[in-house]
Amino acid sequence: MKIILRIVAFSFALVYLAGCSDFLDKDVLGYSTEENFFDTQYKLQTALNGVYDVLQSDMFNQCDWRFGEATADDVWGNDEGMGRSMGELVQFRFKTSNEWIRNRYEINYEGVHRANQVIANAHKVKLAIYDEPSIRGIREILGQAKFLRALFYFNLVKTYGGVPIRPETETMSKLIVPRSTAAEVYAYIEKDLREAAVMLPAIFTDANAGKAGEGAAVALLMKVLMYQATPGERSEKWEEMMRLGEFFVDGKPMNYGEILKFNTYQEEWNDFRLRLWLDHKEWKAEEKEKSSLTTTLRELSTTYSLAYVSVNNRQLNDYGATNAYVAQFYLPGEFCRGSIFEITFNESKDGTGGDLNEGDAIYTALFPNNDIYGAKPMYTREDIVSSLFRGDPRVLTIQAHMAILPDGEMAQLVPGLLFPLKWYTPLKEMPQYGGDNGKNRRLIRFAEVILMYAEALNECGEGARAMEQVNKNRAQANTINGSGTLYVAGGYGYQRDQIWQERRAELAFEWDRFFDLVRQKRAAEVIKAFGLARDNKRGFYFRKGVNEIFPIPQTEIDISNGVIKQNPGY
Amino acid sequence: MKLIKLLQATGIALFVISCEKEVAETPVASITINKTEFTINETMEINFTGVADQVTVFPGDNMQNYDLREQSNTGLVVNKKLFTYAYAVPGVFKVVCVASTHTENAAELKYDTCSVTVTVTDDVTEINRISCPQVRYDEVFAEKMADDNWLMILPRRIKLGTSTPAINIARQRLRFYIPSDSTKVSIDGKSYSNTQNYDLSVPLDILVKSNAGTERPYKLYTVNYAEFASFKLLGATGTLVRNEYDYSTFVMEVTLPTGTDVSNAVPEFTTTAPTEKVYIGDKEQTSGTSAVDFTKDVIYRLVSTSADNPAMQAESTVSVKIRHQ
Repeated sequence: MKIILRIVAFSFALVYLAGCSDFLDKDVLGYSTEENFFDTQYKLQTALNGVYDVLQSDMFNQCDWRFGEATADDVWGNDEGMGRSMGELVQFRFKTSNEWIRNRYEINYEGVHRANQVIANAHKVKLAIYDEPSIRGIREILGQAKFLRALFYFNLVKTYGGVPIRPETETMSKLIVPRSTAAEVYAYIEKDLREAAVMLPAIFTDANAGKAGEGAAVALLMKVLMYQATPGERSEKWEEMMRLGEFFVDGKPMNYGEILKFNTYQEEWNDFRLRLWLDHKEWKAEEKEKSSLTTTLRELSTTYSLAYVSVNNRQLNDYGATNAYVAQFYLPGEFCRGSIFEITFNESKDGTGGDLNEGDAIYTALFPNNDIYGAKPMYTREDIVSSLFRGDPRVLTIQAHMAILPDGEMAQLVPGLLFPLKWYTPLKEMPQYGGDNGKNRRLIRFAEVILMYAEALNECGEGARAMEQVNKNRAQANTINGSGTLYVAGGYGYQRDQIWQERRAELAFEWDRFFDLVRQKRAAEVIKAFGLARDNKRGFYFRKGVNEIFPIPQTEIDISNGVIKQNPGY
Repeated sequence: MKLIKLLQATGIALFVISCEKEVAETPVASITINKTEFTINETMEINFTGVADQVTVFPGDNMQNYDLREQSNTGLVVNKKLFTYAYAVPGVFKVVCVASTHTENAAELKYDTCSVTVTVTDDVTEINRISCPQVRYDEVFAEKMADDNWLMILPRRIKLGTSTPAINIARQRLRFYIPSDSTKVSIDGKSYSNTQNYDLSVPLDILVKSNAGTERPYKLYTVNYAEFASFKLLGATGTLVRNEYDYSTFVMEVTLPTGTDVSNAVPEFTTTAPTEKVYIGDKEQTSGTSAVDFTKDVIYRLVSTSADNPAMQAESTVSVKIRHQ
C-alpha cells in the first residue's frame, strides 16, 4: 500500500511541476498562422501553386481520361470487365459507391478548396509599395485562382450535374452544403471566368508560360456557354458565344462591361475594382490605372494561331514537316501559338528526389511503346479510325505496331491495336525516371475556339461565316499531306454535322469525347450503338436521361445525412 | 494481492463478454419505401429500419432477381441504411431486402428477408422533335404548332456546290425524338420505320403509343417554301439565286440596259404553286398589275399555305437585285 501511495504522490508532484512551466503560453515565432500565411505576394503565389498542383496530380488526369475518353466511342479499353470499378464505370453499370466516381468528385473539390484559399485570403496581402506592378501581381494570382476554380467546378457540373458550391471560407458549423442547381453552378463558373478575363494578361510567356491568361478564361467561358446551350435551339448562350468568338477570333473589340455583364451585378463599380485588385485604397491617385466599364479587353486574335508554329512563329518541323501537327503535342509545341492552356509537367532538373511538379507516366502508359505486353489501358481500332477520320489527313496520327514514329523510332506496340500519336512521347523527350510524365497535357487549344465559334455561328443562322471558320481549321489540317478537301456549304443540320465531324477529328483522343457527346444531346444514341456492336456490350447499358450525368458519390450522401440529394435515376 | 484479484476479475469479465458474440443476433428485415409506383428512371428510396450487420437489396430486375439468386443473380449492398435505385425498363418487380447477422469469422450466419412489389410504368407519349434526317445531307426539323400539329417546311431545291438538286417531298425519311425507347410510333395506321420513305405531300396521321398503353395522336403537315417559277421585269428574265445556308432566302437577279427607268415597273411573275401568295410588306402583289419602285431595295414576301390546314404556312423572301449593263 505504501508503494502505491508513493507512486500516486510522485505522479501528482510531476504533474504539478510540469504545470508550473509557462513554456506552453509563449508565442511560437517563425511559424505560419492563418493570419499571416497569406500576407505577402510570395505566400499567395505559393498557395496558387498548390491549386495548379491539383491539375498535375495523377488522380486528376487519371479521372479525366477515364471519364472523358474511356466511356465513349473512340476507344476500346483493357479494363472493361464488370469485376472492377473501372469496368463498371465504362459499362454504365456502376454502383453509386464506385471508386472512380468518388475519386473524380474528391480531386476536383480538392482543387476548388485550394482555389478558395487563394481567393478568400488575397485581401490579407500587404505590399511594400502599392504601385501598378505590385498590385497587378496580386490581381493576376487572384485571376488565375478564379480561372482554376471555374475549371474544377466545370468538371464537377458536367460530370455530376448541380453540385454544392462550397463557401470560400470553410467553417466547422457549415461543413455540409446542399447541392445547387446546375444553372446556379454554371452561373458561378461564368462569373469567375468573366472576372478572370478582365484580371489577366492576354497570355503569359517565357518563364511564366503555363499560367492561365485571359485567352484561357475566354476560351473556357465559350465552352461553358456551349455546354448550357442546346443544338438547334436559338438562345442567348449561343449568341454570347458567337460574340466572344468575334472578339477572340475576328478581333472585334469587347469592353469590360460587356464581358462582365456588369448590369447584372449588385456591386458598385468601385467596390468591384477593389475586390479584384483593379484598384487599391493605398494606390496613389496620380499613378492609378483608370479602368472602367468601357475599358477594352486585351486583344486575343493576334495572340493565337491555327498554324503549327511556336510562340516565336517558328515552324514546328522538329520531327519533319509532315509531323508538325503532332509536334504541337510534343516538347517543341509546348506553349505554341495553337495552345491556350496546358497542364505543365516538368522533369526534375537533377532527376533526384523532389518530384513535386510531375505526374506519373500517364502518357507512357497510354502509348506503351517497347512494351508489347504492356497494360494498354485504352487503344483504338481500324473500324473506329475509319469512321472517325473519314479520309481526313489527321488519320496519319494513328499508329500501329512496327510503324515509324515521328522521331524515327520503330513502334513496338501491341500487335493489332492502334494508338494515337497525341499520346506518344518522343524518346529524347522521355523523362529520365520511370514514374515521371515528360510532356505537358494540352487542355484548351485554339482549334477548339475556332470550332466553338463555328458552331455558335451556325446555331445563330450565320451559315456562311460558320463555314469559313470550320474550313479554316480543315485547311490547316490539310497541310499535313497537302489534301485539298474542304467542307461543303449547306443547311443548318448539314453544317452542324460537319462541324461536329471536324471537332471529332481535330480533338480526337484529347479526353473530351464523352462530354462532347452529352452536350450535343446524342450520347445515348452514339454510345448505345457503339456498345451494341461489341461483344462485351460496353456502352449498350447507357441509360438515356440518366447516364448523361454520373451519381453523386454515395459517401457524400451518407455523411450529409440526406442533405445532399442523389441524381434522378440512381 | 487485491490488485491481482482485481486483474483476475477483469479478465473473467472480458472473457464472458467475448463469449457473448458466439451467438449471432437475430436479424430483422424491415424497410420503408417512398412509394411503390414509379416511372422509368424515377428514384426509388428504401430506408432500412430493421436489425442487421449487413443489408442487401435485390431490386428484382435483370440479373438482380432474388428468386434467381442461385443462377448468378446478385443484390446490391446497402450503405448507412439508405438505398436508392431506378428502373430502366417497365414492369412489376419484387424488391427483396436481405438482412443478415453473423458471428466472428462468419461461423454462424442468420438471415431474414422482407419484400415489396413495385410497379414501373413507362407512359411517355411526348414527341420532342420531328425531322427529315436526309434532305440530301441536311437534317430539317419540323416546327411544333398548336394542338399537337407539326409543320415541316422543305425546300424544292437546294444549292449544293455548283448544282441545285431537287428535293422530293413525296419520298422523305422521318426521325422522331421521343424520350422513351419503349414508345411506339405508327404513321397512317402502320408501324413507323426509320428507313422507310414517306409521302409528305399529304398530311400524316401520327399515333404515339406509350408502353403503358396511352395513345396520343399528332398530325404532320408539310409545305414547300414558295418560289418564283418565273420573273420578268421590263422584258428581261430574272434568274433565281438560292442560298446554301437558308432555304427561305432567295435573290432574283435581273439585268437591264443602262439607263432603264425602274421607278415604276410592273413585273410579271408566276409562283411554283397557284396557292402561293406574293406580298411586298403587307400589300399583295399581282403579276402584270402591281407597279413597284425598283430604285429602292425590294424584298418580296412569298407565303405558301397547306391546302389541308390554312394555319400551316411557310414564308420565304426574295430580294430583287438589278444590274445595269
